[in-house]
Amino acid sequence: MAGMNRRTVLRGGAGLGFLGVSAAVLPLFGTPDQKQDPSRLKVPDRSESDPRLIISNWPEYIDEDDDGYVSTLTQFEKDTGITVRYTADVNDNDEFFSKVRNQLGSGTSTKRDLFALTDWMAARMIQVGWIQKLDASKVPNLHANIIDSLAKPAWDPGRDYSAPWQSGLTGIAYNKAKVDEVRSFSDLVTRPDLKGRVSLLTEMRDTMGFMLLIDGADPEKFTDDEWKQAVERLTKAKKAGQFRSFTGNDYVQDLASGNVLACEAWSGDIANAGDENLVWVPPEEGIMIWADNMMVPNLATHQANAEQWINYYYEPEVAAKLADYNSYICPVKGAQEAMEKVNPDNVENELIFPTEKTLSLTHRFMALDEAKARTYEKDYTDVQRA
Amino acid sequence: MATVDDVATGGPPEHRPRRNLTGYWLILPGALWLLLFFVIPFYSLLAASLFDPDGSVLTGYDVTFHVQNFGNAFWDYKEQIGRSLLYAALATATCLVLGYVLAYAIAFKAGRWKNLMLVLVIAPFFTSFLLRTLSWKLILADDGWVVDVAQAIHLTDALQLVNLADGDRLLATPFAVIAGLTYNFLPFMVLPLYASLEKVDVRLIEAAGDLYASPARGFLKVTLPLSMPGVVAGTLLTFIPATGDYVNDQLLGNTNTRMVGASIQSLFTKENDYATAGALSVILMVIIVAAVMVYVRKAGTEELV
Amino acid sequence: MSNAPESTVSAPPRAEAAHDLRLQGLTKEYATFTAVKALDLVVPQGQFFALLGPSGCGKTTTLRMVAGLETPTSGSIHLGDSDITYEKPYKRPVNTVFQNYALFPHLDIAKNVAFGLERRGVKNTKQQVAEMLELVELTSQAHKKPAQMSGGQQQRVALARALINQPEVLLLDEPLGALDLKLRRGMQLELKRIQTEVGLTFVHVTHDQEEAMTMADTIAVMNGGVIEQMGAPTELYENPRTTFVANFLGQSNLIAGDIEGRDGDQVKVRVQGAVASVPADRAHAESGQGWLGIRPEKVLIAETGHPIDAPGDVITGGFVTDVSFVGVSTQYQVRMPWGQELMVFEQNTGARGMLPVGTKVDVSWRPEFAFLLDASQDAMAGIEGD
Ligand SMILES: Nc1ncnc2c1ncn2[C@@H]1O[C@H](COP(=O)(O)OP(=O)(O)OP(=O)(O)O)[C@@H](O)[C@H]1O
Ligand SMILES: [Mg+2]
Repeated sequence: MAGMNRRTVLRGGAGLGFLGVSAAVLPLFGTPDQKQDPSRLKVPDRSESDPRLIISNWPEYIDEDDDGYVSTLTQFEKDTGITVRYTADVNDNDEFFSKVRNQLGSGTSTKRDLFALTDWMAARMIQVGWIQKLDASKVPNLHANIIDSLAKPAWDPGRDYSAPWQSGLTGIAYNKAKVDEVRSFSDLVTRPDLKGRVSLLTEMRDTMGFMLLIDGADPEKFTDDEWKQAVERLTKAKKAGQFRSFTGNDYVQDLASGNVLACEAWSGDIANAGDENLVWVPPEEGIMIWADNMMVPNLATHQANAEQWINYYYEPEVAAKLADYNSYICPVKGAQEAMEKVNPDNVENELIFPTEKTLSLTHRFMALDEAKARTYEKDYTDVQRA
Repeated sequence: MATVDDVATGGPPEHRPRRNLTGYWLILPGALWLLLFFVIPFYSLLAASLFDPDGSVLTGYDVTFHVQNFGNAFWDYKEQIGRSLLYAALATATCLVLGYVLAYAIAFKAGRWKNLMLVLVIAPFFTSFLLRTLSWKLILADDGWVVDVAQAIHLTDALQLVNLADGDRLLATPFAVIAGLTYNFLPFMVLPLYASLEKVDVRLIEAAGDLYASPARGFLKVTLPLSMPGVVAGTLLTFIPATGDYVNDQLLGNTNTRMVGASIQSLFTKENDYATAGALSVILMVIIVAAVMVYVRKAGTEELV
Repeated sequence: MSNAPESTVSAPPRAEAAHDLRLQGLTKEYATFTAVKALDLVVPQGQFFALLGPSGCGKTTTLRMVAGLETPTSGSIHLGDSDITYEKPYKRPVNTVFQNYALFPHLDIAKNVAFGLERRGVKNTKQQVAEMLELVELTSQAHKKPAQMSGGQQQRVALARALINQPEVLLLDEPLGALDLKLRRGMQLELKRIQTEVGLTFVHVTHDQEEAMTMADTIAVMNGGVIEQMGAPTELYENPRTTFVANFLGQSNLIAGDIEGRDGDQVKVRVQGAVASVPADRAHAESGQGWLGIRPEKVLIAETGHPIDAPGDVITGGFVTDVSFVGVSTQYQVRMPWGQELMVFEQNTGARGMLPVGTKVDVSWRPEFAFLLDASQDAMAGIEGD
């Protein structure tokens, strides 16, 4: 029947047309290389004429005005006449990355002057050229006061692009009401009495850092063989059923409720949990240290103000006030002495001012390029679903 | 499509009335919406699945029609895909049984409590999905009484036998994930089931009884077939989102319960492997569409569509 | 065979009537409403029994109790010797043709018809279904769904679906209501034929008095939840016991009178000065006020002065106020001297032309056709319409 034929032809034509259009249209959805040259993405600084500063940071990461108490931020504004627009819109490194990726990748402005991201994400952004170099002459406090363990990360050895806001340690936590002391990461992955009641962090750099340390490798400088060995060791423990879960930020509840007996943990979380049964310990193999780093993105219009801010927070007194509020490791030398005046109780607080001995045990993870990072992330997710 | 065909095969064109364009104008907002929120994202996803797998933020992502992405993604994640389908199927089946009983009770037995019960069914929607799922962690906690009871009645043992749990616990097991999925998607099952059961004429059930059908047979031969539109809608509304769900397994499961949704999320955000993530999404979509088509055909709903 | 209520209720079970349907004191009360009040009746096996009554009088409710779809508030239902008052509907050898058809919308016609047989485990239903569809003239529609059929066709399917089961009692709730007159007559004959052939007991509910009279062996006229009168069609028509039956079944002229008393096998009634006599077995009142009833076709009419061929009294002084010609007969309205209008139906025998409006006329009837009712009843009871 002619109508039938015609209909079939129409259908076939539509199908072919769809394929053709798709083939033509699909390449348009590719994204070009997003590497930028920061030196070409500088704009005339308007810090003088427009005394403002726009900052993105993690939530609950800065002290606030309270009756009688003048916060560090308010003091900064008073001292400098700069108006700070401080937004706590960094909840997650990856999430923030996707938020600014389109602008930074295409060389347009993020409308921010400063934001703070964790080491590996900071490394990634610096690597793709999305971050402006700081003017060393404008941040003398940074270079003078940054604590040694944070001074030379592999991804920014001279702290030319970044300045730690706060820092923290990754180690082990256990519930002392339920289980004997856990001293080493090796215990965590092998001890039979913990079997099935251990959680690890999904942060590849934290967990794998420890796994490398167990084998005596240096997380900051390791070979592919060492990596493979560490992955294998973890896979073996995983397959043996040692781990209950791999977690993000939400592991403390399981530890407190006894679902998990021991876990890989961030020091601040355990301190803030306020449960005296939960003990954070530095593993015998070593401690992973991390920091959230302030950086100035390309096309920031108030870089000078941002630098002023960084310099300000590297004054020991200011740093002490901030550390007193949020109990993370203070990256500023001299802050411990300054703490005497701020809050004498906290002078000996190991979580804010780790001893030299503790700090000497800290390790950072090697800086990774995109391809390596992806391979390692994939290896690590493969372990998790082994 | 239909309109094109109608025009093409339509009757003699002599006195065709002036084209009424109102219909097209009415479609326009919907079509725009579809273009913006379905067609474009769909193409974007399809493009991602055909990216050069070595692409990165540094090098950019080119559409190189690297179709091996599909093979690789499928091969690497076949377990997660299978698991997602299995968990979703089990959760859907559980939802169907629980939901049917509930919907049946509301439609036929609730009397003046009907509205209240319906409100209760949707009440969980008043709090966030995440919070609700998190509260399951408390309920199923290892030291909680639910686990004690489950152990006492040997539920945990039974679950271990069928590989839905490992160890004497409920949390961080496949069982917990399936239970979470069941709980979260139950309203999507109950509401369409209720809507179709509500429409079933009780006089037909009486007629079945009059024609020698016992209540059980009457249910199987009359009530159930008449509620099939609800069964089909409910199972689809449950199964499809449950397959792609990535919250329940992350909060209630362990690393051996990883479903494909969580894998895709991790590929996109952590590993930055857009090619595999895209390919995996497309594969999942194809599997679901195929499964739905087979299912709808099997369920024989031609007269209901 | 007399089917007067008093005789049937007390009649001892006859040997051949082992499967009579007996309702005793059957009552159904809803929260605020008594739908059926202490109903007593016996439907002998193999009878065609018609339940006639106005809308809302409790016909459907009665059938539903027999079918087991409604639980009686009190009273009992027996089928032969077995008490089925509380028997489950699916265990009763009773089928219903529902007022609303209640066809299964998801099954085609053939499957609808086969439903009952299949539920009873009958294996090969094809042949029987085909025969049944043949019977209701729906063979060509076997594979349609109910929604694709006209109301009349659906009704015939409902009939076939119930009939195929050959139940001991078939309940028909206005099964022919949706059919056009021709089809209806056809189906009436068909139903009657089937009933006689297979000897099933039919309980047939209808609004249509003509249908009831042509088909039924026994008619029960129901009103307000009670049976007003029950008997053979002719008996009910010729000798109604209540004004309701007199008016509901056909039409009646009811003339007020004073009962003078019994005289032999006659009862004398003084009506507007004249004395009329009624046979004692047709007199349902003995003294005081009464309604003298006479069917319009029993009334003879003639122009004043012309002789009337009747042995009874002649009442003069009427005049014609309305004439309508309906083909087989002519219907007159005659205003009597006391102001009442009487209906007179005269066969168009051709013996005389029509009497025009205004004609002075005499009327008369044979005394044996008259009946006498208690005057405490409403003369208008049972008049349909308006
Ligand atoms: N569930 C119920 N609750 C209260 N009253 C009811 C209920 N079902 C029926 N009735 C009442 O009982 C009376 C008898 O109803 P039934 O259906 O038996 O009437 P019917 O004689 O079949 O009338 P029709 O000829 O209109 O079908 C009606 O007045 C109806 O309103
Ligand atoms: Mg009725």
